[in-house]
Amino acid sequence: MMPFDLVEPGTLREALALLDPEDSAVRAFAGGTALMLMMKSGFFRPKRLVSLNALAGDVASLSLSPTGELRIGAMVRLAELERAPEIRRAAPVIAAALRRHSNPRVRNVATVGGNLAHGDPHMDLPPVLIALGAEVEIEGPAGRRRLPVDGLVSGYYETVLRGDELIVAAIVPPQPRRRALYVKCTTRAADDWPALGLALSLEADGAAIRAATIVLGAATERPMRLAQAESLLAGRTADAALIGEAGRVAAAEAAAAIIADARGSSAYKRRLLEVELRRALARLLDLPAAGETR
Amino acid sequence: MRAARQVGRSLPRLEARAKVTGRAEYIHNLQLPGMLYGKLVRSPIAHGTIRRIDAEAARAMAGVHAVITSAEVRQIIPSPYYGPAFHDQPILAIDKVRHIGEPVAAVLAADAAIAEAAAQLVTVEYDELPGIFDEVEAATSPVLVHEALKPAGTFADLKHLGGKRGTNVALEFRLRRGDVERAFAAAGQVFEHSFRSQPVMHTPLEPMVALAEATEASVTIHTASQSPSFVRIEIARLLGWPENRVRVRTAYLGGGFGAKLYIKLEALVTALALLARRPVKVSLTMEEQFYTITRHACTVRIKSAVDRDGRITARRCEVWWNGGAYADIGPRVTQKSGFTAAGPYDIENVAIDSVALYTNRPPAGALRGFGIPQLVWAYESHTDLIARALALDPVEFRRRNILREGRPQATGTVMRDAAIAAVLERLAQKLEWGRPFERGTGPVKRGRGIALGFKASISPTASVALVTIAADGSCAVQCGTVDMGQGSDTAMAQIAAEVLNLPAESVRIVHPDTDVTPYDMATLGSRSTFHMGNAVKRAAEDARDKLAALAAELGLPPGANVEIAELFRRRYGMQAGTIIGTASFLPSYAPPDLATGLTDNATPFWMVGATGVELEVDSETGRVRLLRLVTVADVGTPLNPRIVETQLSGAAIMQLGFTLLESMEFDRDGQLKNPSFADYKIPGLGDLPARIESETVAASQHSGPFGAKGVGESGTFGVSPAIANAIHDAVGVRLTSLPLTPEAIYRAIRAAAGDSLAEE
Repeated sequence: MMPFDLVEPGTLREALALLDPEDSAVRAFAGGTALMLMMKSGFFRPKRLVSLNALAGDVASLSLSPTGELRIGAMVRLAELERAPEIRRAAPVIAAALRRHSNPRVRNVATVGGNLAHGDPHMDLPPVLIALGAEVEIEGPAGRRRLPVDGLVSGYYETVLRGDELIVAAIVPPQPRRRALYVKCTTRAADDWPALGLALSLEADGAAIRAATIVLGAATERPMRLAQAESLLAGRTADAALIGEAGRVAAAEAAAAIIADARGSSAYKRRLLEVELRRALARLLDLPAAGETR
Repeated sequence: MRAARQVGRSLPRLEARAKVTGRAEYIHNLQLPGMLYGKLVRSPIAHGTIRRIDAEAARAMAGVHAVITSAEVRQIIPSPYYGPAFHDQPILAIDKVRHIGEPVAAVLAADAAIAEAAAQLVTVEYDELPGIFDEVEAATSPVLVHEALKPAGTFADLKHLGGKRGTNVALEFRLRRGDVERAFAAAGQVFEHSFRSQPVMHTPLEPMVALAEATEASVTIHTASQSPSFVRIEIARLLGWPENRVRVRTAYLGGGFGAKLYIKLEALVTALALLARRPVKVSLTMEEQFYTITRHACTVRIKSAVDRDGRITARRCEVWWNGGAYADIGPRVTQKSGFTAAGPYDIENVAIDSVALYTNRPPAGALRGFGIPQLVWAYESHTDLIARALALDPVEFRRRNILREGRPQATGTVMRDAAIAAVLERLAQKLEWGRPFERGTGPVKRGRGIALGFKASISPTASVALVTIAADGSCAVQCGTVDMGQGSDTAMAQIAAEVLNLPAESVRIVHPDTDVTPYDMATLGSRSTFHMGNAVKRAAEDARDKLAALAAELGLPPGANVEIAELFRRRYGMQAGTIIGTASFLPSYAPPDLATGLTDNATPFWMVGATGVELEVDSETGRVRLLRLVTVADVGTPLNPRIVETQLSGAAIMQLGFTLLESMEFDRDGQLKNPSFADYKIPGLGDLPARIESETVAASQHSGPFGAKGVGESGTFGVSPAIANAIHDAVGVRLTSLPLTPEAIYRAIRAAAGDSLAEE
C-alpha cells in the first residue's frame, strides 16, 4: 500500500469540509472493512482518507423515541446494533439479520453508515431497512436532506450520495403490529455473501394480511421491492396455496433482474426465491411450509 | 527408574504454548538488516511469447533497487530451470509464458509498498498463443506447452523421456495384470463411468515465503519449506556449487499440505540475493498462491466387469492428470498414486493407464493425499453405482471384493499390515449399518454413504537422524522433518524419549537447518512418522548403545543404575562431552516394470482410510447438511492418539471443502475467475458436520517405529465419494463432477424429474 493522508476531524462540519467531490481519491472512512479490501487489492488508491471515527454525539449513537421511532447514528457499529436493547425491542429483525452478517471482527468495526453508503448489493442490512420503511438522513454543504433507504441505492455499488455528502443517520419508523423476517441464503460456504437475501415485513392479524413489504437483495443490482407479490398478498387470508402463489409471482417478477454470478445461475436463484419466499411467509404466518410443489 | 511409556501418550504438542502466545517462529516474520523485498510481475495471459519487457519506469521510481528479468538471472545461473521430476520451470519466464500468473520479472526495494507499486509500472508485451486447458484434450492437442521434455534425471523411470518432442504427455504409467479384455468379454455385466475432480488450492494460513542472504562463498536460505534437503541439492545444482555452500533452514510452517514442497520461491530469492548483493525476501500474498501450485484436476474413466456372485473380475482405469504448465511432482503422482486406481479390491484382471499432462493452467503438485482423493472419488462412486445396479448392499458388495491381508494388490505386491477389511467393518459398525435408517420428511431427505480408500507410501525415500546426549543427560533430536502443524516434533520427541527412558517433554527438537540436521527426503506423503520415526528410533538406540559402552568403559556392570550426567563426569572429570547417536533409514523397494507396472515390493507400508456420512438434502434447494462425518483408519499403532485423531478429522474437513465448496474456476482463455477468498470459499465453522468422529482400528505396522505409520492423509480418502453416495441415497441422483454444489444437486434433482433448468 502506498502512503496517503489520514485525517480525523472532530466534527461533522470539518469532516464535510475535508471531502472533495471532484477527487475520487478522497474518501470518507468509517469502519473501513470494505475500503481496506479495495486498497489492498490496488483497486482503490487513496490520496486522502477522512476518518469519521472521532465523531461523537448523535452521529455515533442510537436512540428509541417514545413513539417507537429508532434513530441509528451512521457511526454506530454493526455489533452495537446487534446487541442494543432498543433494537431488540423495536426491530428485532435487524439484530437477527446481523448475526449472520460477515463475522464478529468485521461487525465490531463496520458501521451502519458505511454499510449503506457502499451501495454493495450483497449487504444484508439495506433490504431489511427497506422492508421496515426506513429513511436516511444525509448532510452536505446544502444542509440536511432525508430520503427512503429504497431511494439511496441507485445501481450496482452506486448511490445518490454526492461526493461532499455524508449519511448521518438511519431512521426506522415505529412498527406496530408488524412482523418481519430476513432470510440470508448462501449457496457456497455458510460464511459467505448471500446468493439472495429476502426481507419481509407483514402487517397481519393471524393469517389475515393487511399489507406486505417484500425486498429482494443480493441477487439483483440493487435491492428490489417485489410489488406484484406484495399486492397479491395484501388484503388476503394466507393459506398454503396463496404463499406458494406468492413465491411463483415473486420469481416471475424478479426474473429479468436476477443476475447470474459465482453464487448461482439466474435460473437457480429464481427457484431459490420461489422456495425461500414461500417458506418465509409460512414462518411469519405460522403456516405449514408445504413444499415439494414441483 | 523407568519413566512411564512415552509412545501412546496423548501428549499436548511441545510447541502449543509458543503458538497460542504468538512466540513460535515463522519465516513469515523474519527480517534481516539491509533486506530488500521482491515483488513479482506476473503474466496476465495463459500462453504467449514475450516480445518486450519495459522496466524503465519502474527502475526510475524512487526507492527501487532493481528490476530483474530472466536476462539478469541467466548471468549467474545459465540454465535457470528447476523442478523435482522435470527441469522445466524457469526462475523467471524465458521468452515465453505458459500459465496465468507466471512470474516474468521481480522488482526489488527496501520498502515492500514501493516494490509493489513499481511492479505495476513494468509493462510486458506478449504475442498471445492458443492455450490448452483440459487434461483429456491436452493428450491429443496440437497446442504444445513445452517444445521438448526435460526430465530431471533423478528418477530412473523418467530417463527415457529426455528430449521427447511434440507431446504434452509428461509421463504415462501403465499397469497390466491378467487379461482385462478377455474378462470383459466373458463378464456377466459391465459398468463404465467417468468422474472429474476440479482444481483446488492448498490455502496454508502462512503463504509461501523465502528469504536468501548470499556471500561469494555461500548462500543461506530461510524458507517455509517442507523439503529443506531437496532445496539445498537443487540450489547447489543450479549454482554449480557443492552442497556444503548452501544452507537451508526452516522454522514452524503455518501449514504446508504439499504446497511448500520441492522448490517454490527458493531459487528465485537465491538469484535475486546474488544479483542484488543484499538479502532478499519474497512473501507471497494469499492470492498469489493460486498461481503457484494447485491440486491436479483429474478425469477418470473406470470400467468394471462383475460376475453373477457380485465379484469384480476385471477393472480398467484411464486417468488423466492436469499437471498445468510445469510438471512439479505431477509425474510421481501419476505413477505412485496411479497404481492404486483400481481401489482396495481383489481383482484378477486390472489395466491402468495414468497419464500426466502439461496444460496452460497454473502448475499442479502434491496436495494432502497425492492424487489418491481424486482416484477414490472415482472408484468408490463407481463401486457404489455397481452395488446399486446389482441391488446389493454397498457394505456387502465391498466385503465380497475387498483386498485382504496376504492377497496381491494390482501391482502384485502382497498386502501386509493393511487392515482394509477391519476398517470397513468398524465403519459399518459405527454407522449401525444394519439398522433401519430414518429417511426424513417433507422436502428434506436423509441419506448415508460410505467409501474406502488406500494409499502406498512414496518409495524409495531416505531419512537420516541424529540424537545427541549432552553432558547433563539432556537430549536433542536433529532431524529434517518439518513441523508444519502436524505434530511431528512431538512424535519424534516421544520416540526418542521412549528409547532413552526420558519424559518426552524434556527432549529438544532441532528444526531443519541443513548445516546441522542431516538429510531427509521431505515432509510429504505421510512418510515422516514411518521413515524419520524409524531413523530417530535407531539413532536413539545408537545413543543408548554408546551410553552403555561408556558405562562399560568406566567399569560399571551391565544394568548399573548410574545417572547419565554422572557417566560423563566420571569420563571427562567435569561436565563435558557429547554422545551422538545416528542412523539412516531407507526401506527396501523394487521399482515397477516399465511395461507392466508390476512389482513385488511397491511400498514400505499402506495407509487405509474410510469415511461414513449421514446427511440431509433439501430437495427444493439442493442444499446439503452434514449430520455426521465418521472417519476410520489404519494408522498402525498411534504414537499420540490425540494428535492422530485431529490429523484424521483435519484431513476429513479439508477434503470436505474440496468436495462441497472449493473450486478454481477458469474461463475459456485460462483466466482464473475467482482468485480471492471472497470467491474461492474454504470451509468455516458453520460448514462443519454436527458430529465428527474419528477412530483408528487396532493394528500394528510391524516395520514401523513402535508399530506406527503415517496418518496425515488417510482422513481425506473417502470423503468425496461418501458424500456423493449419501446424496444419491437421499435424493436418487448421482453427481460425477466435483464440487457437489447445491445448484449442481438441485439441477440433477430437477433433471431426474424431467424439469431441467436452463443452462447459462
